[in-house]
Amino acid sequence: MASKRAPEQQHHPVDPEETAAAFARAIHDGDIVNFRLLFQPFSPAREDSMESFDTAKYDYLLPDSEMEADPRYQEYLEKVKEPANWEHIQQELAANRPARMPAELVLLLADRAVELGKYTSASLAYEQLRIRQRMQEEFLALADDKLREGDVKTGVRGYLIGTGLEYNYSAFPEPLPAVHNFQTQALILHGRYPQKTEDCVGMLPPEAHLRRAFEFLLGSADVAARLDEYSLETRLAFFRELVYARDPEWDTFAARMKEAVEMAREMQRRINELMGAGDGTYDGLVEEISAELGDDPRAISAKLLGDDPGAPREWWQYLKDLGYRSPPAVLFVARQFVGNSEIIVPRYVLDSPVAQAAGIDLPRPKS
Amino acid sequence: MSKQKNESAPSPGDRQDQGYVDYFVILGLSEHAKPGDVRKAYKRKMKDLVSEIGQAELTEERRSHYLLEMAKLNAALYILRDPGLRDSYWEERKALVELESQWRRAEEGGSEEADTLRRQYDSRIRSFLARYMEELVLEAGRDKECVEASGWDEAHERHASRLLRNYRQSMYQQILERLPYFDLTPISFDWEERKNKVRSLLEKAPH
Repeated sequence: MASKRAPEQQHHPVDPEETAAAFARAIHDGDIVNFRLLFQPFSPAREDSMESFDTAKYDYLLPDSEMEADPRYQEYLEKVKEPANWEHIQQELAANRPARMPAELVLLLADRAVELGKYTSASLAYEQLRIRQRMQEEFLALADDKLREGDVKTGVRGYLIGTGLEYNYSAFPEPLPAVHNFQTQALILHGRYPQKTEDCVGMLPPEAHLRRAFEFLLGSADVAARLDEYSLETRLAFFRELVYARDPEWDTFAARMKEAVEMAREMQRRINELMGAGDGTYDGLVEEISAELGDDPRAISAKLLGDDPGAPREWWQYLKDLGYRSPPAVLFVARQFVGNSEIIVPRYVLDSPVAQAAGIDLPRPKS
Repeated sequence: MSKQKNESAPSPGDRQDQGYVDYFVILGLSEHAKPGDVRKAYKRKMKDLVSEIGQAELTEERRSHYLLEMAKLNAALYILRDPGLRDSYWEERKALVELESQWRRAEEGGSEEADTLRRQYDSRIRSFLARYMEELVLEAGRDKECVEASGWDEAHERHASRLLRNYRQSMYQQILERLPYFDLTPISFDWEERKNKVRSLLEKAPH
């Protein structure tokens, strides 16, 4: 078989201004992926690459006119063009070997990523600089100082950055930034059906409820344990801030939650009536309640989500969506069988300090 | 195993572990120790550890720490009492230390070989840590002698597999942190300046 000839290396001129602009944009965006891409063998910034900035495939790497007018972008552009950085970039783009990225620019990018709240990108960049753990510790230590000073808002922000910079060393095949996965964590949190009321996370005593909430919302038991040293008052204030940080639309959810509590109460009343009047079995209860209420009990789960009841879904589908849309919400719900169907219902101590902190407290029903 | 006891161990305490797990140091032995010495040292250390565990108030963190210490002692016995395994472990370890020096020299001299050596080193360190800090550690937990002395069972193994994976990765990370930068230009950090940066970022960061 005739051997194929390697295609002749093609060179295309690259506008250095475009290259510098692409680097400045990656820094401005706090985007370590694009920054690395610019050094790859196929990078449009390389003369020996087949790719070009002028194609639709890669023109996203260049800044638009609005960004060009941004003083921060101009600041980064100047930094890229500083002789030491620029010479190094050009030398690496011309060399036929894995590139060494300019550390000073990577650090600039990492800090910018934190500023923009792009913690995954920041942790990748800090990790490459080998200071991720130290930076994480610095953010958490400063957050603790702020909490001790009574500045809860900044303290929460520090904890969010600290946990945002977490890394998963057991990720395969390479360690990667740890990302929050509330929809899956919600299923784990409610993995076991509560046999007793006390088994429900929302029915835990305030201290335990808060600890579980911090572990869930911060995604790290170790970081959550740091909060044990603070007074209950501080932790409740911290929890309130954290709830709004994880779900900026929490107020809308809180209103729905209160309505869902009323619906659940009504359902319970109906169940008690039907159980009393019937033969005491649960079979067909959903249908009976449906007929009685003109409503399916699964409407409660849909209400929590703010969805149209539509076609009823499984409990875990509601829970997963709830975890995704409003992570703190899963700390106040529980699974419940109604007849043969399982639904997600609000379940928490209505007047507990935790519910008060979250703004979903309600007076207890008269017995 | 208390740190103090480790420090008072004979000469191997002076040797640097450098992140390449040194099972002789773990047992407080020199590299010329005989299998009989290995067994004696293992039994003494395990007895101390078990008695320390018995007296300690066990938190989740301490439980993990003790489990890891126990796993390391088991692995030390398992590897060092078997002449074949011990030789291959020690040879691989020495070769790795040598490869690191070679790479450092090439890196400092700006040699073109540096990248090839770095890749070789990276692949070897990963397989060394995987074999001697995870695979054989778990295998040691199933060994009759280790099971008798440490009471290691399936529950320990389940918990230890996660711990060991994290431990292996953290050791790799520790080694990586002291090595020359290879994908970045060298950089040093002024931590006072960094602390100020952290302060200003905390003020600016979005919620």
